[in-house]
Amino acid sequence: MTAQLLTSGVIFGLSLASIYFLISVGLSLCFGLMRIISLDQLLYYSVGAFVTYSVSAAFESFWLGVFAGVLTGVVLAFAVERLIFRRIYERELTFSMITSFGILLAGIGAIKGIWGVVPKPVRVPFDQQIDLLGTGIPVYRLLVVAIAALVYAGLWVFLNRTIIGKAIRAGIEDMEHVEGLGINAARLFTVTFVIAGALSALAGGLYAPLIMVDPHMGLEVLAFVFMVVIIGGLGSIKGTLWSSLIVGQVVSIGSLIYAPLAVMAPFAMMLLILLVRPTGLFGAALAK
Amino acid sequence: MTATWNWWRGIVLAFGLLVAMRFVLPLPFMNEIVIFSIYTIGCNFLLGRVGFISFGQPAYLAIGAYGTAFYLFYFGTNPYVGILVGLLAGFVFAFIVGLFFVRLRSDYFALVNMALAVIVFYMMQKVLADITKGDNGLWFLTNIDSTPIINLGRPADFFIFAMILGVAIWALYKYLDDSIFGACCLATKMNETKLEFLGYSNFKVRLTAFVIANTTTALAGCLYAIYLGFVNPEITSPARTADPVVVTILGGVGSLFGPIVGTVAYTGLRDVASKFIGNWELFVGLILVVIMMTNSGGLYGALESLFGRFFGPSRRVEGAPQGVKS
Repeated sequence: MTAQLLTSGVIFGLSLASIYFLISVGLSLCFGLMRIISLDQLLYYSVGAFVTYSVSAAFESFWLGVFAGVLTGVVLAFAVERLIFRRIYERELTFSMITSFGILLAGIGAIKGIWGVVPKPVRVPFDQQIDLLGTGIPVYRLLVVAIAALVYAGLWVFLNRTIIGKAIRAGIEDMEHVEGLGINAARLFTVTFVIAGALSALAGGLYAPLIMVDPHMGLEVLAFVFMVVIIGGLGSIKGTLWSSLIVGQVVSIGSLIYAPLAVMAPFAMMLLILLVRPTGLFGAALAK
Repeated sequence: MTATWNWWRGIVLAFGLLVAMRFVLPLPFMNEIVIFSIYTIGCNFLLGRVGFISFGQPAYLAIGAYGTAFYLFYFGTNPYVGILVGLLAGFVFAFIVGLFFVRLRSDYFALVNMALAVIVFYMMQKVLADITKGDNGLWFLTNIDSTPIINLGRPADFFIFAMILGVAIWALYKYLDDSIFGACCLATKMNETKLEFLGYSNFKVRLTAFVIANTTTALAGCLYAIYLGFVNPEITSPARTADPVVVTILGGVGSLFGPIVGTVAYTGLRDVASKFIGNWELFVGLILVVIMMTNSGGLYGALESLFGRFFGPSRRVEGAPQGVKS
């Protein structure tokens, strides 16, 4: 393996990691605060990508497309939270998992009905390359990484510097005390869920030019997102960041060495980590 | 004598009804129902008795199906040996995977299991493409020998064979429910500390339950392979991971005959709906959400309260779940 191949591999892995991070941080936040497993995040990811495709094709502007995608994700997440999740927060964890999988499936069916089953390409907004250690790197991939880093920074500021963010962090520790302080738990849940949905839709929009947009794209990343969440530990944002970086690199470098490794290596790694730490790298042993 | 009859009554009634339906409904539909019921009972047992929600059932189904397929495609011609090979493959796979999985908390278990189904899909589609022929799948219908007495190559005979297997499996699960082991399974779901205190090992109880349930699922995979005469990765595609869970919940979680009722309803509805809508994902997803929101005991729960007398006194253990609620 040459140094050039390795450099582009690392960058490719970083951009993958960014997408995984954006989706799984929402899953992780929802689990931490509401104790739900929200598989429908993968629906907002697909919807974000499809809206990006439609709008950017209609208005010739990729960024307008991404913006519209995120907006659709927000609206959809808000509706789903209000109509469905609001009624099942009190239930067992598996309950939310089954329900949200139902939403995901129904959503995929709806996407097939609206956009059809043929995969669709989205034009890369700019295809310049810059020279990095003697390798040509597409600028767009670097931009994806930068946006994910910005999101992480923004999330950090939001969670540590604003009242709502602090309430969310406190809620992850102990929801009852937060409610006791007079904070509206229902609104807190809605805000968190909508943020998660928006991030997933953003991931879909950003990833759309790098792959073909097709109705099953949510199910395709599902395994990787799960691995990221499990390795990092459910409910931990720092864990999600680290594990998405790890999984992204393992997938990218692994596929350079031997193609099937791309899928098998992270899975094997996940099993090993679970053997040592059944709750992932940063997951707290939650008493449930 | 009466006691024996009482014990068998439900099973005889349920399978008698299936045999009766055989003369009214098309045979492929009935075969599908029997196989799918066997497929679902494992998931039903795990969810209702042990409290494991398994989105990974297609993985075990695929292992059984591919075990049978490999044998019939590359080595032999006898379908019965093929089923045994698939069953053995399923058993070994479930045991190895179980060693890792049953130690996990229920939320991690659910996620890891679903990831497993996707991984098995990739394995069969890409990684092992040399021997599984990738997306084309293995076709071995012509390799299957005709066997004396019950010729598995003929759908009518296959139905008889599947029914015999079905009765045996339901008897097994009924026996498990009645046994101390069944009580241990419920206990590990409801209060694991107490079970440990009584001197049982949570790990062993869970592992045994996991292996039994998933070996049953693998058996359903073997039956699919023999019946269809081909296997391709579609059998474990990520979009279908919810099928057994949907049927389990539709039928009624933790009830012995829920899987049969659920399968009849689900397969029937899907066939009817696909004629009108042609978009089964939307349909399955909506059904799932609606059932979860109404949170009933499933169709079997409704039937049971209607026909309670015919099925004898309710066998539902105190505290056993009706629907998935906490």
